[in-house]
Amino acid sequence: MKILTTVKKVVDVELNIRVNDGAIVEDGLQYVINAWDENGVETAVQLKENNSAETTLVSIGGDDNADMIKKCYAMGIENGILIDDPALANADSSVFAKVLQKVYEKGEYDLIITGKQAQDTDNGQAGIMLAEYLNIPCVSNVVAIEVMDDSHVKVSRLGDAGTEIVELELPAVVTVSDSINEPRLPAMRGIMMAKKKKIETMDLSALGTSIDDLGGADLQSEVVEYMQPEARKSGQKFEGDAAEITAEVVGLLSNEAKVL
Amino acid sequence: MTKILVVADIKQGVLKGSTSELLSKAKALGAETAVVAVGSNIESLTADLANAGSDTQYIADDASLELFSAGPFTSCVVDAAKQFEANLIWFGFSETGKAVAPRVAAQLKAACATEITDITIDGDNVEVTRPTTANKLIQRIKVNASQLVAVVRAGAFEATEGITGAENAVKLSIPETDLKAIIKEIIAEAGDDIDLADANIVVSVGRGAKDQAGIDLVKELATDLEAGFGSSRALIDAGLMPHAKQVGQTGKIVAPTLYFAIGISGAIQHLAGMNGSKVIVAVNKDSEAPIFNVADYGIVGDLFEVVPILREEIKKIKG
Ligand SMILES: Cc1cc2nc3c(=O)[nH]c(=O)nc-3n(C[C@H](O)[C@H](O)[C@H](O)COP(=O)(O)OP(=O)(O)OC[C@H]3O[C@@H](n4cnc5c(N)ncnc54)[C@H](O)[C@@H]3O)c2cc1C
Ligand SMILES: Nc1ncnc2c1ncn2[C@@H]1O[C@H](COP(=O)(O)O)[C@@H](O)[C@H]1O
Repeated sequence: MKILTTVKKVVDVELNIRVNDGAIVEDGLQYVINAWDENGVETAVQLKENNSAETTLVSIGGDDNADMIKKCYAMGIENGILIDDPALANADSSVFAKVLQKVYEKGEYDLIITGKQAQDTDNGQAGIMLAEYLNIPCVSNVVAIEVMDDSHVKVSRLGDAGTEIVELELPAVVTVSDSINEPRLPAMRGIMMAKKKKIETMDLSALGTSIDDLGGADLQSEVVEYMQPEARKSGQKFEGDAAEITAEVVGLLSNEAKVL
Repeated sequence: MTKILVVADIKQGVLKGSTSELLSKAKALGAETAVVAVGSNIESLTADLANAGSDTQYIADDASLELFSAGPFTSCVVDAAKQFEANLIWFGFSETGKAVAPRVAAQLKAACATEITDITIDGDNVEVTRPTTANKLIQRIKVNASQLVAVVRAGAFEATEGITGAENAVKLSIPETDLKAIIKEIIAEAGDDIDLADANIVVSVGRGAKDQAGIDLVKELATDLEAGFGSSRALIDAGLMPHAKQVGQTGKIVAPTLYFAIGISGAIQHLAGMNGSKVIVAVNKDSEAPIFNVADYGIVGDLFEVVPILREEIKKIKG
């Protein structure tokens, strides 16, 4: 089985993010692997270990993605493709999905694993759109996966009515939830080996496409402004005797907030 | 005139509140409204769908649509969108919406926006607002395409009293079953509990409750208040709470009138799911816990001591 897993480098949301004049202030930001994509990498590596698969990752971004790709090698991914093209600077999920489509078509994979969403966009679109563009089945928000045979996997998805059990015919796309696994910490041996491994880097023309082709010159929507969310107005904190402060808060919920 | 198609949110045969919230907003924008409903045994909901504020009801009702399957669901929505010539296609916030909206957008070559909190229409100019980057930022997005598919975030719009619609049902043809993604079964969790998405009050429990006894203690508070009972991820990872109870970025997004966070530290991924609540109460023994940054009323204390007192005091008020 050939597995393609997608990884994006995203801003570290644990740190402060500031906005000035409608734009994100780059200064002081740090970038990390998208958390859900790390779950995707772990999923791919586990499938390889348990079912002899070949694992390839693809990332679309700048050459500073190399350290993230090496980390994924150290976790056990075998091959890495980096699509690096300045024309993609303003790409949205749909354009990224079309780039991924081109990558898929070059390699003919059986299973594509994406994260359920990228933490910088919080869109949750690229993986699902990729499946539509390829006209292959897709299950999103996957929390478990099991190989049935060469051309089928069984997945569990958290849906509105409960956990859905779906049998998927390959090739297919799954988008994974963070509940699917706990990503491993790379072992020292893996880190040493990863250093020597190459990354296959391509721009759009090497991929046989162009930004016009991908709809990237004429976006369906565009971000015109970033804003800082309004902070919740600071509340009251009560410390001291539990009986007293709890009674006080209940009183306030009833008389001041009028929610009880 | 703008035409807005709302995708009905139906759970276990019941029409959920988000549908009338979205239709109310659509009417307030002066749009012509329609609704598309997909499921099994739902024809009887036609009057409810009209009363929720729709002027046309596109209905796909068939036994084959009983269990959710993204492919056929998408086909029904696309079919309705084409028949109605919708400019805007809105989903209420649900896993179904998140799974289907990007597919519909891809098929219609429309713009797609998830978790929107507001929308403005000014002639041909459509803009949406949405939180992004773990709720650390808000984006304003300009729509260039002639159609927009959007998933509306929980709590974004309010249902208007006295909204009306008209019964005008249109039967959709039933799409073929997706043989490449076959739904085998759905394992439902804790069926009779109050749905988190609808609850006016939500009580959530975190790792601070330690074990089953602690969880049961907090659950009693939820029961007293007839509140939805939620959880942070920590207890779900520990196998102590079911997945369906998770509140947060990868769980449910809730916006109740009153939210209790009991023994929850307030990680950004949890906050992303509840900081739209009207009033937040936190109980935590660590006075530095980040949850206190968003709490309107913060009780610094041991939950094992505080929760029983909370129950007593609330009983006194409620009589
Ligand atoms: C990609 C990703 C997605 C995630 N999605 C979600 C999500 O959707 N929802 C979610 O909740 N988390 C999510 N998380 C996890 C999140 O980062 C936190 O790990 C999680 O929310 C912590 O849960 P907690 O607050 O219960 O536990 P902890 O952080 O361990 O906090 C426990 C709190 O209980 C307090 N406490 C302990 N004992 C007592 C006592 N006796 N009385 C009172 N207080 C006490 C402690 O002071 C502490 O503040 C996600 C993480 C990632 C990486
Ligand atoms: N630039 C990118 N490079 C690699 N994968 C991506 C990229 N953008 C999106 N993806 C994949 O698509 C998923 C969904 O992205 P989004 O639609 O932005 O939420 C992510 O979790 C990634 O797996």
